[in-house]
Amino acid sequence: MSKVLLIALREFVSTVFTKAFIIGLLIFPAIVGVLAMVGPRLFGPDRNFAISGELAVVDLTGKVTPELRAALTKGTPAAALADAIRIARGEAAGGDVLSALGVTPKLTLVERPAGADLEQEKAWLGVVDKDSPHLALAVIHPNAVEPKPGEKALGSYDLYVPPKQDTRVEIGVHQAVREAVIGARLKVRGLDRAEVNDLTTVPRVRSVTVSANAEQGTVSGLDFVLPIAFMFLLFMGVMGSGQGLLTTTIEEKSSRVIEVLLSAVSPMELMAGKLIGHMAISLLGMSLYLGMGLAVLTSFSLFGLLNFALVVYLLLFFVIAFFTIGSLMMAVGAAVNDLREAQSLMMPMTLILIAPWILWMPISRNPDSTLAVVVSFLPPLNSFGMMLRLSSSHPPPFWQVWLSIGCGVAGVVGAVWIAAKVFKIGLLMFGKPPDFATLVRWIRAA
Amino acid sequence: MTTSGPAIDLRDVTKTFGSQMAVSHLDLSIPRGALYGFIGPNGAGKTTSIRMIMSILFPDSGELTVLGHKSALEAKDKIGYLPEERGVYRKMRVGAYLTYIAKLKGVPEKGLAERIEAFVARVGLAGTEGKRCEELSKGMLQKIQFVAAIIHEPELLILDEPFSGLDPVSTRLLREQILAEHARGATILFSTHVMQQAEEICDHVVMIHRGLKVLDDPVSSIHHRYNPRALVLEPLDPSADLARVRALPEVESCTAHDGAYDVELRAGIDPAGAIARIAGALPLARIEVKRPRLEDVFVQLVTDGAQSAEATSALRAELAGQAEQVTT
Repeated sequence: MSKVLLIALREFVSTVFTKAFIIGLLIFPAIVGVLAMVGPRLFGPDRNFAISGELAVVDLTGKVTPELRAALTKGTPAAALADAIRIARGEAAGGDVLSALGVTPKLTLVERPAGADLEQEKAWLGVVDKDSPHLALAVIHPNAVEPKPGEKALGSYDLYVPPKQDTRVEIGVHQAVREAVIGARLKVRGLDRAEVNDLTTVPRVRSVTVSANAEQGTVSGLDFVLPIAFMFLLFMGVMGSGQGLLTTTIEEKSSRVIEVLLSAVSPMELMAGKLIGHMAISLLGMSLYLGMGLAVLTSFSLFGLLNFALVVYLLLFFVIAFFTIGSLMMAVGAAVNDLREAQSLMMPMTLILIAPWILWMPISRNPDSTLAVVVSFLPPLNSFGMMLRLSSSHPPPFWQVWLSIGCGVAGVVGAVWIAAKVFKIGLLMFGKPPDFATLVRWIRAA
Repeated sequence: MTTSGPAIDLRDVTKTFGSQMAVSHLDLSIPRGALYGFIGPNGAGKTTSIRMIMSILFPDSGELTVLGHKSALEAKDKIGYLPEERGVYRKMRVGAYLTYIAKLKGVPEKGLAERIEAFVARVGLAGTEGKRCEELSKGMLQKIQFVAAIIHEPELLILDEPFSGLDPVSTRLLREQILAEHARGATILFSTHVMQQAEEICDHVVMIHRGLKVLDDPVSSIHHRYNPRALVLEPLDPSADLARVRALPEVESCTAHDGAYDVELRAGIDPAGAIARIAGALPLARIEVKRPRLEDVFVQLVTDGAQSAEATSALRAELAGQAEQVTT
């Protein structure tokens, strides 16, 4: 076995067969599993939330308040209709709106005369009443139901709320007032509210994804989830082993075992062995997570939705990103004496690794934007940028993918060249940690 | 590659770090099978020279060959190296660590476990193969590191300060192992700043000071060449007045030293005649020609009699590894 592979094997074995690694590897799926079980309860809408309190209304039309009163009186046909409308509108919007609205508001109507002093009514909002909080003041415009003579445009209403009002309460009040205004407008025109509701409600349907071999119900959000899943795998592989390369190099240097190793192998053999060993560790972790992901897709009969070429590209871009960032992190490890000293030199690397998370949303939402295209050609971010684009709903053209690979390979050559020079000199340098100017001098001297 | 040339051959090798000259125009030829001492105070350039020999560092100018190769990288499997700054993987077990190093040095898998067992027993640590390195004491670890340096039975063994931090018993054991390796046929380059250690083991000594070679001779030749024209005497009566000895024309000076007296003779004086004259002047319990120590030779070469007594004293203290005590 060559010396490079011997070093790689030691790095692999000494990392993988440790409790810390095994626990670290399993802890993420465990966290995901726990979140999947308790997440909906923790982060979902508060089922116990209820809009409860007083809504003051100054109705300058005199026609909206009766509608509002009827809709808020429990057990009446008007209240039942209001609930039906809420549900229909929520479903038409995909369920999100209904979730945001929660249960039917328990609003107590406080009717104010049309000539009420508005400033005095606003002051009412500031009066604290714990049993029946003052939620809002609605002022219905005089032309909200019927236009002014000679005009076509209908008016609306003004809504005043106290400070720090819960957004959900405001949404609920808006919904109630809005439906009451619509109800009044229909009544004035002699139209039946229930019939209009039936005519204007079209239930949302679930689309069917048609592929070459099969048809199945569209999984909404896959175009959103897939890029982040692939980018996470890439990030985890690069970050995990990059950190490992940094710490093991520092450990070998600080424990002075490095000179013993250099008496047996050249710095380049040592560097190559460590890189290969840690790449194998990352591939093991990625394979495990990828396997789990595929198992989940299979269990939900969604396996066919995944383009297998993406997995091949993931491996290709992982190798590029790993060699670029891993070799630079190893160079940092060789240049410093301990982890504390590595912090300042790690700052650029940290920024590089944070960048994909910042760029994830704009690239996955608009994968053909100038930003997305530039990032996908710019080492060392190109691997992350291109994986986001490849797994998006609008994959880039073939030539861009291979141009990105070419740019990535050029980046690898440059990074390994720089890292090898710093590694060679830094390994036997002890004492004051180098600054960037010193590193540049080392690169030029080696 | 040739098998007949010198084991190590350095010609006009120079190495600088920034503005600091670490090694200057060093010529060094170590024949195969020799046991060379590479001595000098801390910071003299010994470790830098050794790192260049090992191709861990590279000279700015000059040429070097190791076991007939232009670079030690081509002969690393034939070289054993115990660096001054040595360490182990602390979490690794002793057996696994030695297996790893042995494999890196090209030792075949077959029979490796038995070989490790035998070598560990040689340094008195039988049965420690299953222990983690961090469980061993510093002295035990140094022995394991020595085993790592010789596990592949190298043709050339380079030892940089091998006895530093060892207790006398371990020092003796390691010295025996070094001599055993020499007896096996290995060429040994042994670096130390404690000259007495080199004097006890080596048959040839190279002295280096501030990057410059100041001596390159067999130990026997050094003793002959650097006869200090000095005697050591012990009067029969410890309270005897030595004025009569000091008054002799052959005597330059006479100073008390460790219960005896060091007598320095004037230039050109025959020690045998001086001994007879001193014995006639004072009843003696003992008188002998003072044997030159490497430390004395080094101090003489470096100071050339020009430096102050304080500087000479500091240099001696540094050589004895006591520089810190002197300054405090």
